[in-house]
Amino acid sequence: MSDKTEVWQGTLALMILKTLEAMGPLHGYGIARRIEQTSGNLLVVNYGTIYPALLKLEQEGYIDSEWGMSDNNRKAKYYRLTRAGRKHVAKETQDWEQATAILARFLAPGEEHS
Amino acid sequence: MRQLRAWLLRLGGLFNKERRDRELADELESHLQMHVEDNLHRGMTQEEARRQALVQLGGLEQAKELYRERWGLPRLETIWQDVRFGLRLLRKSPSFTAVAVLTLALGIGINAGIFQIFNGLALRPLNLPGSGRVLTLYQTFHLNQGPMHRSVYGSGNLFSYYEYKEYRDQNHVFSGLLSYAPFVEVTLDGERHRQLLGTLASCNYFEVLDVRPVLGRTFVESDCAQSDRGAVVVLSDEMWRNTFAADPAVIGKAVTLNRVPLTIIGVAPRGFAGTEVVPSAFWAPLSIQPSLYSGRELQGDMLADDELSWLQLMGRVRGDFSNAQVLADVKVIAARLDRRHPGFDSKISVATSTLFVRPEEHYLMVGGGAAILLAVGLVLLIACANVASLLLARAATRRREIAIRLATGASRGRLVRQLLTESLLLALLGGALGSLLAFLSFEAVLKFTLSHLPEAFPTLNLSVTPDLRVLAYTLVLTLLTAIAFGLAPAFEASRMDLATQLKDEGAGLQGHQTRGGLLRRSLVGLQIAISMILLLTAGLLLRGLYRAQTLDPGFSLENITAVSTDLANQGYTGGRAVAFRNELIDRVSGLPGVEEVAQASVFPLGSSHHVTQGSIPGHEESQRVELNAVSRNFFATLSIPIVRGRTFSNAEVQTDARALIVTETAARIFWPGEDPVGQRLVLYNRPGNPVYYVVGVAKDAQVSHLGEDHPNYLYIPASADKLEQLHLLVRTTGAGASLKDMRSAVDELDPQLTAKVVRLEDYLEFWRAPARVAAIFSAVLGGLALLLASAGVYGTVSFAVSRRIREIGIRMALGADGQDVMRLVLRQTLRPVLIGATVGIAACAGVSRLLSSFLFGLSSLDPIAFFAVPAFLLAVALLASYLPARRACRVDPMVALRYE
Repeated sequence: MSDKTEVWQGTLALMILKTLEAMGPLHGYGIARRIEQTSGNLLVVNYGTIYPALLKLEQEGYIDSEWGMSDNNRKAKYYRLTRAGRKHVAKETQDWEQATAILARFLAPGEEHS
Repeated sequence: MRQLRAWLLRLGGLFNKERRDRELADELESHLQMHVEDNLHRGMTQEEARRQALVQLGGLEQAKELYRERWGLPRLETIWQDVRFGLRLLRKSPSFTAVAVLTLALGIGINAGIFQIFNGLALRPLNLPGSGRVLTLYQTFHLNQGPMHRSVYGSGNLFSYYEYKEYRDQNHVFSGLLSYAPFVEVTLDGERHRQLLGTLASCNYFEVLDVRPVLGRTFVESDCAQSDRGAVVVLSDEMWRNTFAADPAVIGKAVTLNRVPLTIIGVAPRGFAGTEVVPSAFWAPLSIQPSLYSGRELQGDMLADDELSWLQLMGRVRGDFSNAQVLADVKVIAARLDRRHPGFDSKISVATSTLFVRPEEHYLMVGGGAAILLAVGLVLLIACANVASLLLARAATRRREIAIRLATGASRGRLVRQLLTESLLLALLGGALGSLLAFLSFEAVLKFTLSHLPEAFPTLNLSVTPDLRVLAYTLVLTLLTAIAFGLAPAFEASRMDLATQLKDEGAGLQGHQTRGGLLRRSLVGLQIAISMILLLTAGLLLRGLYRAQTLDPGFSLENITAVSTDLANQGYTGGRAVAFRNELIDRVSGLPGVEEVAQASVFPLGSSHHVTQGSIPGHEESQRVELNAVSRNFFATLSIPIVRGRTFSNAEVQTDARALIVTETAARIFWPGEDPVGQRLVLYNRPGNPVYYVVGVAKDAQVSHLGEDHPNYLYIPASADKLEQLHLLVRTTGAGASLKDMRSAVDELDPQLTAKVVRLEDYLEFWRAPARVAAIFSAVLGGLALLLASAGVYGTVSFAVSRRIREIGIRMALGADGQDVMRLVLRQTLRPVLIGATVGIAACAGVSRLLSSFLFGLSSLDPIAFFAVPAFLLAVALLASYLPARRACRVDPMVALRYE
């Protein structure tokens, strides 16, 4: 457990959106598994927190949901990125990259920041 | 935007909860199935696979709970829960609910009603289109040096015609600036003359106010150039109906005001009666002022007098200038005007136009209104204390419920919130009921009050229908009320030691009760203190009223009849007026039983006064004095003794000599310690500031203001050229001439002339009416307060007795008798009563000076009121606690010990 990290507050939404962007329509369980895999199993996702996050994104209009059939012929609810969601991902990604780039400059060893 | 959308969806989520719950259950179930399948693929047992899946989901119920929180608005849902629970509780104890709601309705209703009137009088913008953008200008003068060369007609905050033109033409902020002279008193010619109050207005008056006539037209430029020939007038709706029977062909007809014929050009709409509290009967252009008042000394050509305050200025703001920008603009003009007057320092102000906008009236209204609102606020506070006391009693019976809630994990904050929700429900119910009653009934109450004032009080141009401001005030008051009566009991109820509470419940011993008891006793003290203040006020006012009925004003009122008429308005000027006066005096003197006929320029105890400044020759400093021009037999007629010197001689009256008779007080003010007879005094009453010489000293008499013991009052001879207002004071023997005889004496001389013929004693009503209204009002409030407070005392004592019934039983079983028990119960209640009474008396003594204008010279610490009222209140409080206490001493120990 010690080398696994909890999902940071506020980043889960972006992970979900990014996952949907990459994978296309997907159900909640799939999203959760995919996030774990993408993180190289370094992140623990409490699966229960995925659903309120999905609901919030849906209420904000970034994603849509629809009941459908899974690969194993099981009924499941599929989530899909909306156009607003796509725009939001692009913007958030940019913001996030900028933030990490700034932080990286502080963390990089031996470099003078002028 | 996104936030709002999400919030709206969540708000919507409050409704279709069940469907959503089902869907979520399905979704989570399918999630689990998929996870279990995956786990089985990894080689787990069925049981282990499901367990792992559940663990990683973080528990099915917790996941659902998390989801639900996001789905709806949990805070809103708990509030809704509290509301439903509260309503259920209130329904379950209908008598408690009814008493609390009625108490609050009474308290809030009376406040809402009073505020409604206050709002109509002092806060509400005028009833005009876009009235928020109509501003009133007023100025205040500060004199840097020298005596003031400024005449005032009406109010010192008004403007001269010259100043009006400057402001009108130089400003950049008004789309139009109007001026008018309020309260212009004229006589309407007809079969019988009639006095009217109207307005002289600038040409743009109706245009700026945006008032359109229902008939005809309003002023145009050419109307305002006329001085008498071709002069025009716009009638009020009321005058059109009453005088012209709503004749649709009234346009073009003539009315004669002060003997000047005017052509009617229009009729104002029904809802518009001017911008003053007294409705205007007509509007005529300012330009007719000189001919309307021709032949008068004080009101000659007012348009030409650049140093006369007589015009009110109002403007409609152009575009979206703020009040501050308007002020900055008019200040520039004011500074320019000041430069024309060395020694003048005027301050200009602007305010949104309301009734009573001129500062001295406004402060009077706001001050008086604040005092009355405070008084009714105190009544509401008593009501709050009563309901709080009821809630505390209820909380005591709900201790078990509350203890269980706390034990099962409710937080104290949550519990307080729920109890406060209940209080809020009570307050809202009470507030709604109270304000409904107030809004429905106050207009009627106000009309009733006004109709019971004597005739001298004019009808009012006043709208008291509730507006947004009234609703907001009532709502805020209701919320404050809920906090006032609900907060303390809620905290008190939720503060408890769980273990002892659950154990002790039902033991009925007093130990853990003390804190709630202290709160309740403080509430009793508070109620008594407030009732004391209100009742003392009522007591003082009633004493003042009694004094007004029995007061000796220092002159004789009995068998004096006054005949008053405005001669100048009815065409009698100069020699004609003198001839008329002499003829009238002769005729009245010849009536049977008439002993003396005196003349005065100011009516004794009337509503108008002649105020000027006086100073000793050679001294800068001047004093405000009141003047009355009287005939030589004035003092004998009214039985006012001349204590030094003599009354005027015939020669002094006929030659308009500068003779002066001063009151004792005036003599003391101007020449302390000296003999006033022969002294000289400068009066600013007429051009040239003439010097008068004192010929006599009259005893102080309250001829100007009833109850004013030390009037700085001066008498000058009634000379021929001062005959604008004629007041004859006729003394008759007991069975002398009747009012009708005197009226016919006037009629014989001129059948058209209007004259008021009243007995002086009746006229006192004018003074007593406000005092009577104030006394009735405060007596009603005080009675209400007393009722509520005694109910509070009664409730507190009987609750205390019922809580301690077991203890009393034990005491009695151990040998205490009825008297001991009575003493025990009474001692506990009477302490807060006595403390509250003391505080109330002290507080009232501190502020009762404010009532002095209603007391007619009575001391504001009148011993009779300050003894009788507390004695009465304490007697009532004693009775209210004695009744339930008596029950305590009749307790049968055997029954009491089995109680609960």
